[in-house]
Amino acid sequence: MPMVEVLNLEKDYGKVKALKGISFYINEGEIFGLIGPNGAGKSTTLKILSTLLRPTAGEAKIAGYDVVKDADKVRALISYLPEEAGAYKNLTGYEYLQFMARLYAKDRKKAEEMLELGVKLSGLGERLRDKVSTYSKGMTRKLLLARALMVEPKLAILDEPASGLDIINAYTIRQTIKRFAREKGITFLVSSHNMLEVEFLCDRVALINKGMIVETGTPRELKEKYDAENLEEVFMRTVGAKISEPVGGEGS
Amino acid sequence: MSDFWVLVIKELKDLLRDKGLIFGIIIVPLIIYPALGQMMQVGFEQAQGETKVVLVNLDEGQYGELLIKALETAPNVTLTKIDALSIDDALEKAQEKDYNMIVIIPENFSKAIESNQKAMVEVYGIIKGISGGMREAVSEGRINAILTVISEYIAKLKIEQNMEGDPDAILKPIDAKSFTVIKGRVVAVPPSLVANLVAAQSISMPLVIFIMIMLVSQMSAGSMAMEKENKTLETLLTLPVKRITIVAGKMVGTAAIGIIAAIAYMVGMRNYLGSIMSSSGEIGISLEDLGLTVTPQGAALFVLIMFLAMVFALSFAMLLAVFAEDTKSANTVVSAGIMPLAFPTFILMFADLETLPVAIKYLLLAIPFSHPILASRAMLMGEYSTMYVSVLYLGVISTLTLFVTARFFTTEKILTAKISWGRRKKAE
Repeated sequence: MPMVEVLNLEKDYGKVKALKGISFYINEGEIFGLIGPNGAGKSTTLKILSTLLRPTAGEAKIAGYDVVKDADKVRALISYLPEEAGAYKNLTGYEYLQFMARLYAKDRKKAEEMLELGVKLSGLGERLRDKVSTYSKGMTRKLLLARALMVEPKLAILDEPASGLDIINAYTIRQTIKRFAREKGITFLVSSHNMLEVEFLCDRVALINKGMIVETGTPRELKEKYDAENLEEVFMRTVGAKISEPVGGEGS
Repeated sequence: MSDFWVLVIKELKDLLRDKGLIFGIIIVPLIIYPALGQMMQVGFEQAQGETKVVLVNLDEGQYGELLIKALETAPNVTLTKIDALSIDDALEKAQEKDYNMIVIIPENFSKAIESNQKAMVEVYGIIKGISGGMREAVSEGRINAILTVISEYIAKLKIEQNMEGDPDAILKPIDAKSFTVIKGRVVAVPPSLVANLVAAQSISMPLVIFIMIMLVSQMSAGSMAMEKENKTLETLLTLPVKRITIVAGKMVGTAAIGIIAAIAYMVGMRNYLGSIMSSSGEIGISLEDLGLTVTPQGAALFVLIMFLAMVFALSFAMLLAVFAEDTKSANTVVSAGIMPLAFPTFILMFADLETLPVAIKYLLLAIPFSHPILASRAMLMGEYSTMYVSVLYLGVISTLTLFVTARFFTTEKILTAKISWGRRKKAE
C-alpha cells in the first residue's frame, strides 16, 4: 500500500480553482517532489494532506487513512513544515523543541529522545538557549526543520524546506533528508520551485502547473523522455513554454 | 504531562516574557493608579492646610468681638486683623500677605443682632491663577461652620433670655431619627448612608468586572492572532493534539494572565480609591454592620458566575479572533464584538433592574456580562435563587459558545476566514 494516495483532488477558493483534479501516489520511504512555479497549487496540496484544508472534491489518504474523515489519525503520522512558518518568539529554541517533543511523544523517555535528536539536527548549539526572537531567518528555518524531523514521522511534508537557507545549510538539510529516508524509512513529500534542488533530492517528482499535474516520474525518466539536461528544461517543455535566447547570447 | 498542560505552560511562558504586555497590563496599573491617588491626596492635603483669613472689623460691639474670638480659636485658621477702608483696600492687603480669605464684619453688625435683625458677614475667597478654588472652598466651609456655631449660640442665648423651656427644642422643634430595614432587619442607619455604601459597591464592582472581561478578551484574541501573525498556527493545527485541547489550553493560559492583570488593576484601583476615601472621610459603617455578609454559598455561586462569564468572554473573543489576521485587527474585532455587550451593563451601576422597562430588563438579562454584576448584589442580599438562574443561563450560553469556537477550530475557516478591511481576499 502506498504511503500517500491522492485521487482527483480539487480545491476551490471561491471562484479561484487552485487544484483541478490532481492524482499521484508516494511509496513508503520515498522522497517525492512536487515542483512547479509559484501559485501552481503546491502549498494547497500540502495543506490538504496536512489536514489543514478540506478538498472540494476527490480524496487523499495517508497510510490508508482519509485526511478528512480520519484527520486525528493522520496528524499522528505526519509532520508538516509550512513554507512561511515561525516559532514562538518568547520561547528559547530549546523550549520550542521541548514543547513540540512533549506534544508528539506520549511518554517522557520518548520526548527526551526526540529533544536530543532535535538539538542535534538544529545545529544551533548554544544559541538554542536564546529566545527565538533573536534568531536570523536561516536559524529559525533550521530550528523548524529540526522540529519537523526529530519526531521521526511516517510522512514528513516539507513546503520549500530550504527556503531562506544559504548554500551550506541547504546542502546539509538535503543530506539529512536523504539520510532519514534511507536509514529510518521516513517518507518525504517535498515541494519546491527550485527544480535543481528537487532533481538532486527526490526519488520521484510530479510537475504541477495551474492546478494540474502535467508529468510524473523519476528525474532520469523525465529527462530522457523530454531529451532535457535538467528538470527545469523538462518543466518548460511540458508546459509548452518557449525558451527565449538569453540576453547577450547568439541570437542577440 | 498531558497535552493540555503542555499547551497552558507554553502559553504562560510566551505571554509572561512579553515585556511590553507585562508592563502594560500589570506594572502600569500597579504604579499609575496609586500615583494618581497620591497626587489627588496631595491636592486634598494642600486644600485642607491652613486657612489664612484677613479680617476687617468695622463693628464696635460685643458680637463682632465674639466672632473674632471664635475665628481665632478655631483649628487650622490663622487670623490677621487689618484696617481697611474698602473691599479693594482689603483685597490688596490680603494679597500682599498671600492670604486667600477676607472676612468683613460690617459697621452695624452687633446693633443688628441686638435689635433682633439679621446681621450679615461678608466672606471673600480669593482664587488665584489655576488653583481651581479647592483651597478656598475648604476655607469657606470652615468659616461658615464657625458662623453657624456662633449663630446658634446667639440664638440660644436670646431664647434663654426671653423664653422658658429647652432652647434646643425651641430652635429645632422637629427632629427625625432614621432607620433602614434591610433583609428584614431594622438597622439604626439612615437609608441615605446605606445607599451611599451600596452605591460605592455597585459602581466599583461593574467597573472591575468590565475591566476584567475586556482584558481577558483582548488577551485571548491577541494570543490567537499572534499565532497567525507569527505563522505558528498552521504548525499548531497539524500537531497530534485534539483541537478542543488547543482551544482550552489557550483559554486557560490567557485567562491566568488576564486574572493576574485584573488583580493588578484591582490593587491599583483600591489604592487609588483608598487615597481619595481617606481624604474625603469615610461613611463610618461597613457592610457587616448592616448585616450584609457574604456566606460561603453566596461566595461560591459568585465565583462560579464569574468563571462562566469569563469562559463566555474568552471563547467569544477567540471566535472573533478567527477573523483577524494580526494582533492589531484582533483588538479591533474584539472591541467591536465585546464592547457593545459589556457597555450596557453600566446601566446596572445606576439603575435597579426591576424598575427598568421590561424590554430593557430582558435585554440586559440576555447579556452574559450583566450576571456577574447582578450576582455581586444578590450575593450581599442573600438572594441565591436569582444566582442559580444566572448559573444555569451562563452555563448554557458559555457551553454553546465554547462548542461553536471549538467547531470553528476543526474547520479550515480558522485559516481562511478573515474580514477584509477594504481589501480583497488573497488566494493561492
